Amino acid sequence: MTNTLLFIVLPYLAVFACAFGSIYRIKKEPMSYSSLSSQFLENHGLLWGSLPWHLGILLILLAHILAFLFPSFWQTLTSNQVLLMAIEAIGFGLSILCLIGLVVLGIRRLTSPRIQAVTTPMDLLVIALLLAQVGLGAAIAVHCKWGSAWCSGTTTPYLWSLVLFQPDLSNIEDLPILVKAHIVCAWFFILIIPFSRLVHLFAVPIEYLFRPPQQVVWNNSRKLNEETPAFAKEETRRHFLNAFLGIGFGAFLLSVGTLSKVFSFFFGPRLSEKEETELMEVRLAHLESTVDQKKLELERQASKYIMVAPITELNPTAGKYFIDYKMQPAIAFKGKDGYPLLISAKCTHLGCTVGNKVDSEGRILCPCHVSYFNIETGQPNAEAPAKTPLGHLPWVIMDEQGKVMASRDNKGQTSCFVQPDALSAGKVYIAKSLEDKTT
Amino acid sequence: MDIRAQVSMVFHLDKCIGCHTCSVACKNVWTDRPGAEYMWWNNVETKPGTGFPTLWEDQSHYKGGWELKGRDGNKKLELKSQNKIDSFVKLFYNPNQPGLEDYYEPWTYNYANLFEAEAGDDQPTAIPVSLITGEPMNIEAGPNWDDDLSGSTFYAENDINLEELSDEEREQLFEIERISMMYLPRICNHCANPSCVASCPSGALYKRGEDGIVLINQDVCRGWRACISACPYKKIYYNWKTGKSEKCILCYPKLETGQIPNCFQSCVGRIRYLGVLLYDADRAAESMKVPDKALVESQRTAFCDPFDPEIIKMAKANGISDEFIKAAQLSPIYKYVMKWKIALPLHIEYRTMPMLFYVPPLLPVMGKMANGIYTNALDNFFTSLDKSRLPMKYLARLFSAGNEDIIEYVMKKLMAVRYYKRTLDMQDIDLVMMNKMMREGGTTPEEAEEIYRLTAVPTIDQRFVIPEIQREESIESTCNPEICKGSCGIGVIQPPTRGL
Repeated sequence: MTNTLLFIVLPYLAVFACAFGSIYRIKKEPMSYSSLSSQFLENHGLLWGSLPWHLGILLILLAHILAFLFPSFWQTLTSNQVLLMAIEAIGFGLSILCLIGLVVLGIRRLTSPRIQAVTTPMDLLVIALLLAQVGLGAAIAVHCKWGSAWCSGTTTPYLWSLVLFQPDLSNIEDLPILVKAHIVCAWFFILIIPFSRLVHLFAVPIEYLFRPPQQVVWNNSRKLNEETPAFAKEETRRHFLNAFLGIGFGAFLLSVGTLSKVFSFFFGPRLSEKEETELMEVRLAHLESTVDQKKLELERQASKYIMVAPITELNPTAGKYFIDYKMQPAIAFKGKDGYPLLISAKCTHLGCTVGNKVDSEGRILCPCHVSYFNIETGQPNAEAPAKTPLGHLPWVIMDEQGKVMASRDNKGQTSCFVQPDALSAGKVYIAKSLEDKTT
Repeated sequence: MDIRAQVSMVFHLDKCIGCHTCSVACKNVWTDRPGAEYMWWNNVETKPGTGFPTLWEDQSHYKGGWELKGRDGNKKLELKSQNKIDSFVKLFYNPNQPGLEDYYEPWTYNYANLFEAEAGDDQPTAIPVSLITGEPMNIEAGPNWDDDLSGSTFYAENDINLEELSDEEREQLFEIERISMMYLPRICNHCANPSCVASCPSGALYKRGEDGIVLINQDVCRGWRACISACPYKKIYYNWKTGKSEKCILCYPKLETGQIPNCFQSCVGRIRYLGVLLYDADRAAESMKVPDKALVESQRTAFCDPFDPEIIKMAKANGISDEFIKAAQLSPIYKYVMKWKIALPLHIEYRTMPMLFYVPPLLPVMGKMANGIYTNALDNFFTSLDKSRLPMKYLARLFSAGNEDIIEYVMKKLMAVRYYKRTLDMQDIDLVMMNKMMREGGTTPEEAEEIYRLTAVPTIDQRFVIPEIQREESIESTCNPEICKGSCGIGVIQPPTRGL
C-alpha cells in the first residue's frame, strides 16, 4: 500500500502537478517567473556556491537522463569495466562538488542579512530537499556501488513502466532503503517545482542561441502587417511551436505502447516453428467453433418447433430465457391463466436484454436505461425511455408423442385441445408455423 | 534602407547647474518602490569623477558595450561581456555584474527614535537603517558621493578618462582650489545598436519600432542579468526584490499622450531638448564598425535628412507617420547634431550608437590663471583652447572617442557664437576680431543667431517637439494587439511582486 502510494501515485501526481502548475504559472503569473538571482546583493559566496552547484548537478542530471532514455546504450557503456569505474568516480566527484556548492549557498542564505531579506520559507525547503537528495545520491555511490550499472535492470524499467502507464514495482521492490528514499525524494522535488523558484528550470533561454541580436517591436498596425520580423509575430510563432511540441510530446507518450508493438512486429523476435504451428491450431479452433455456431443456427431455422422448457419448469415470477428463431433472446413465464407466457427480451429502446425477474407490479426491468415492461401487455411504463411494447411470442404445448395439446397464435388466440390438468405433462415449444403467420 | 524614427535627446551641458531636480523628478515617479530604491534612471555626475555606479566607464572591469573584431572587409561587432556559448555559464554567476557595493546600500532614517527614545543624557538621533535589511548601518556611499568633487580631488583623480593626460596637464587640472568641474546628467541613451538588447538571453529587451525607446518586458525577463553588464552606461538596474531588471522608459506613457518626460520637464536650467531623428536602421550597426576616432562622423552618416523627398518617401513606405516626419523636420536634435554638428554622443567608443547627445561645456574652458590670478582681460577674453583648464583630451575621451579635432571644432563654434552675441550686445569687441573668430568657428552670423536663439531663449515647443502618436494604431506596447484585443485591463495586470 505504502509502496503504491510512494512509487505509483506520487510520481503521477508529481508530474501532473509539475506540468499543470508550471504552465498555469507562466500563463497567469509571468511576472513571478524569474531565476531570482541574488548576485546583486551578495557576490562572493555566490561564485563558490552557484557555479559548482549548477555545473555539477547539470552533468549528473544529464547522466541520469541518458541512462533512462537509452538503456541499451548505457548498458553497453557500463559493461566496460574501465568505463564503469570512470563513470562511478566522476559521478561521485560531481556529487561532492554539488554538495559543496549547496552548503555554501545554504550558509550564505542563512548568514547574510541581505540575502535573508529576499529568502522565503520555500527557498529553505528547496535547499534542504536538494541537500537530502544529493546526499542520498552520494551515499548510494558509496554504499550501493555500481549504481550506474544496476540501474538499467531496476530503476530504468520502473520509470519506463510509469511512462507506459503500466506501473510495475517488481523491479524496485527489493532495492535498499537508500535508493528508495532517493526515488521518493526525486518525486517530491518534481512536485514542488511549480511552487518554488525551481521554475527557472523551464526558463533556460535556449532560443538565445538562434535569435538575431536586435529585437524591434512595432505597435503600429500598418507596420505590423509588413514583413519586418516583429516581437509580436515571434510571440505567436513561439506559442504555436510550444503548443505543437507539447501536443506532439503528449501524443508520443500516448502512442509509446502502440509504437512498441509496431516496433516489435518489425524488429521483435520471430516465432519458432512450434509456436507457428500452435498459433495455426488456435486459429483453426476459432474457425471450427464459428462453423458449429452457424450450423446450429441453420438447424434452428430449419426445424419446425424449438423446445423452450417443460411446462412444469415455468414460473410466474422468475422467467426462463431462451433463444427464438431470429436468434433473439426471449423469456418464458407461467401466465396467470396457467398457460405459458412468452415475451421478447429484446428491449425496444436500444436492444438490451431485459431482466427475467418480475416485480410486485408484474413488470420486468431493462437494466440499461431503466424501462419497466408489464409482462401481461408488454407495455413499458410511462417514464421509460422505451416507447413501444415488447412483443409476445406464439407457442404450442405438445406431449411426448408430438401431439398438440394447446397453442396460442401471435394474435393472442389460445386454443386448448385437452383437459387443462393434463397440460403439465407437456412441453412448451415455439412453433415456426404459428410464427410465420405474423410476418 | 530601413528608415526609422527615434525620439532622441540633446543635453546642453553649459546650462546644467547640477541641481539634481531631474533625478528627483524621476525617482519620485518611477523608482520609489522596494527593490528600486538604489536605482537612478536619471542621475547627474560631477566630472571629473568616478560616477554612478563607481567607475562605470571602466569597461575592462564591467565589460559593457561592443568590441570591434575581425580584419578589414570582414569586421564584426561582438559583445564584450559574453558570447552565445559562455552566456549560458554566466547565467549562474556573472563575473562582470556590479554588486550593491558598486552602487550604494539604500537607507532611510529611524525618525521614530527622535520621539520614542528613552530619557537620557544625550539628544536622541535618527540613526540610518538599511532599506534592504532594516538593520542600522553605516552610510559609506551614496548616489552622488562625489557631487561637486566632494571637497577633494580624490574622486576626480580616479576618473578613468584622465588616463591619457600628461603629468603637466594633470597638475594644471588639479591645482588646488582651481580645479574645474562640469556636470554630466545621464539617462538611458536609447541606443540604436543597443548591446543590452543583444545580450538578453530571454529576449525581454526590445527597441520600439515607432520611437526607438528601449524597454524591458517584465513578463518575459527571467532575471539572468546579462543586460546589466552588457550596458556600458550601466543604465540597467537589477530590482533585488522582484528579481527583474529595470531601466529608464523615457516616460513613454507621457510621450504617448503628448507630454514631456519628467526629467525633461523639471529641468531647471532648461538644458534638455527632445525630438525625432530619422536614421537608417541598416546602417546603425554598420556605422559602428570603424576605428574609434571616426565613430562620431560615421554615426552621422546613419542619420537621414528629414527634408529630402526621397527619404520622406522611404520613411512613409516603412510605416512612419506624417506626424513623425513633421516632428523630425522641426526637431531641435537634428539641428544640434546634423545641421550645426555641436552635439556629440557620450562614449561612442562603446559602439552602441547612443541617441542622446551632449553639447560640451564651454565655461570651464574659458577662465585662465596667470600668476595665481584669474584673468579675464579683454585681449584674451577667450583663452586659446590648448591652454584651457579642462583639457581637450579629457572632453575628447568623453564625447568623441578621443578625437580632439571634433571637440575643438565644437568649442570654436560655441565660442564664435558667444563672441558674435557679445559684439552685438556690448559693442566692446573689434569687428575684425569678431569676423576672425567667426571664420575660425566655421559659422555665419545667421547660424550663430540661430544657435543662440535655440540655446538661450527657446520656447518650450521649440525644446520639445513630441510627435503625435497614433493611439488608434497602437494598443499596448508590450502585447500584440491581436492577442490583447477584446481583453480588459490591458497593461500590467499583475502587481510586480517577487515570485516564490
